[in-house]
Amino acid sequence: MSVVLPVRAPARGGRLSRRLRRTADNPWGRPRFLGAVTWLYMAWSIVPVVIAIQFSFNAGRSLTAWQGFSLSRWYWGDPINSVFKDPALQHALLQSLKLAGLDVLIAVPLGVSLALGLARWRGPGAKAANFLMLFPLVTPEIVMGVALFLVFLHLFTFIHPGTTAQLLGHVTFSISYVVIVMRGRLFSIGRDYEEAAIDLGATHWQTLRLVLLPLLVPAVLASAIIVFAISIDDFVISSWLSCGSSCDTVPINVYSAARQAPLPSINALAAMLVYITIGVVLIGYGLYRLAMRGNRGSLADLGV
Amino acid sequence: MAGGAVSLSALAKQFGDFVAVAGIDLDIPSGEFFSMLGPSGCGKTTTLRMIGGFEKPTSGRILLDGVDVTETSAHRRPVNTVFQSYALFPHLNVFDNVAFGLRRARVDKTNVRRRVATALELVGLTGREHSKPIQLSGGQQQRVALARALILEPAVLLLDEPLGALDAKLRKNLQTELKALQKTVGITFIYVTHDQEEALTMSDRIAVMCDGRVDQLGAPREVYEEPSTVFVADFLGVANLLPAKVVDSNGNGGCRVRLGETELDAGRGDTATRGDAMLVVRPERVFLEEHGSAGPNRVPGMVERVVYLGPAVQVVVRLAAGGTIQALVQGTSDELRWRQGTPVHAHLPGDALRVLTSREPEIAPAGDDQEEKR
Repeated sequence: MSVVLPVRAPARGGRLSRRLRRTADNPWGRPRFLGAVTWLYMAWSIVPVVIAIQFSFNAGRSLTAWQGFSLSRWYWGDPINSVFKDPALQHALLQSLKLAGLDVLIAVPLGVSLALGLARWRGPGAKAANFLMLFPLVTPEIVMGVALFLVFLHLFTFIHPGTTAQLLGHVTFSISYVVIVMRGRLFSIGRDYEEAAIDLGATHWQTLRLVLLPLLVPAVLASAIIVFAISIDDFVISSWLSCGSSCDTVPINVYSAARQAPLPSINALAAMLVYITIGVVLIGYGLYRLAMRGNRGSLADLGV
Repeated sequence: MAGGAVSLSALAKQFGDFVAVAGIDLDIPSGEFFSMLGPSGCGKTTTLRMIGGFEKPTSGRILLDGVDVTETSAHRRPVNTVFQSYALFPHLNVFDNVAFGLRRARVDKTNVRRRVATALELVGLTGREHSKPIQLSGGQQQRVALARALILEPAVLLLDEPLGALDAKLRKNLQTELKALQKTVGITFIYVTHDQEEALTMSDRIAVMCDGRVDQLGAPREVYEEPSTVFVADFLGVANLLPAKVVDSNGNGGCRVRLGETELDAGRGDTATRGDAMLVVRPERVFLEEHGSAGPNRVPGMVERVVYLGPAVQVVVRLAAGGTIQALVQGTSDELRWRQGTPVHAHLPGDALRVLTSREPEIAPAGDDQEEKR
């Protein structure tokens, strides 16, 4: 039995270019180029965060020159300037957490109800309402901030700049995100489950409580994570509706400190924001996994 | 359990300008296995949803055991539904799914447990109480949906293409089971399907629907053997539809029909009509003979295609008069006689030829697309 070897065309070019061509032509080869681009992007976006966190552990007072490692100085070690000793920084952190936490507690239930209404609303006005829902998303934040500021200044004068105004601002733009996530889930769930529940004798309220809400839990968690994350790093609206230094959030505080005499304590403050956000996301994801047990669907299915 | 009698009078539903159901009158007696059969968009599902209380009729009434339930909301109607998607609650296990309705009705714990056990036994799922729906096969999910709907002892069970998502073999088995189950529980079943075979095998009566109307209502044998419209003849099974002209009475209760050059005796259908009509003949009633064989009711043609179907052979004959006709030849040895290009005479017995004058079919009559339905 003879084996006929395919006759190869004489190779052109050098050895390297031949190898490259063979690699590029191999349909089963690993997507090296895509992999490289992905990793480059990851490095590019993570490096600044890593550097910022690194300098929160600087033993010296510089934001640019590494003067040795200190775990605690800018977190709680320094008696005057560390995050836990400086009342301004402490206050900013609390203010940020307070706003983000309350925002989640208010925007998520409101957004869920709104999404339920919009998704099940048939009739004139439904389309317009669905479209208007997207407005806070596409409006530049600065416009939104100014507009809210003017509204509180001239129209709703009983609301003074301060925590309440800041919270109202956050809730205003957070709701859109909740509605979008929830509506996606509602459409993918469809109406069959609700109709089945009603068919079996459940009232509308029982249908919502016993069937719809349990099915919506994953989307509720996903939108809570999103709301927390966008609220805690909001700068523009928080600063427009601020009442001065006692309303400073972490981003505002970092911003003003950076313009004066920055110390690594602002890195520590910002780093704590990162830790908290990551912590919240991890907890949320854990709960999400718990809720999705034995349930078809994935994060992608929620548009997350 | 006693089944309920359903009566629809002038029931209609419009979605904007679209007429989904154009005024239906139906009387479904207690305990009947009733099917609504038709192509998609014929209004069968909309009708079912109106009976279930999920769509508000534009006009007309729905009576259940003589009581007007048109305005009764879905969760108060003694009617339950098996959905096409089953709609089993994914976060509840089999037991909780089946018990859902009982708990809404505030049945006490002991009774819930007892009745769920009975219902699961009825559908052969004892022992799967703690499975989540996703862990069950399609057929098992379908049974859970049945148990969940039946446990409330509804007067009427509505089924919206409940076997549509299952594979052919399983569907066949479940058809038989469903029919047996209906006999056992004695509830009125209203079954919606586009599958004519499903409707024929299970139903006591079938309403063949088209464009929001009931085209024909009758027992399976009746709608298949004696279709009253061209649409019904065409939709149920395979029918040869030949445009022809009725010329005269044949003095024998039937009529003389001109098909191309040939005159035929037709003994069924609307034999009193004159002029243009449609001749309908089932493929299994068409007999192929050698070319030149003498006798009445023979039309000449040539074999265009021979298709092997397993238990039978389908022979498509192009008629000299134009158009094609299908013949179903049973058995094995005959297939060798009919090859592509063989000239033949097709024998169309007078008692198998139906004259229909009503509505035109949507697809071209006697065209090549007839056999696509096989």
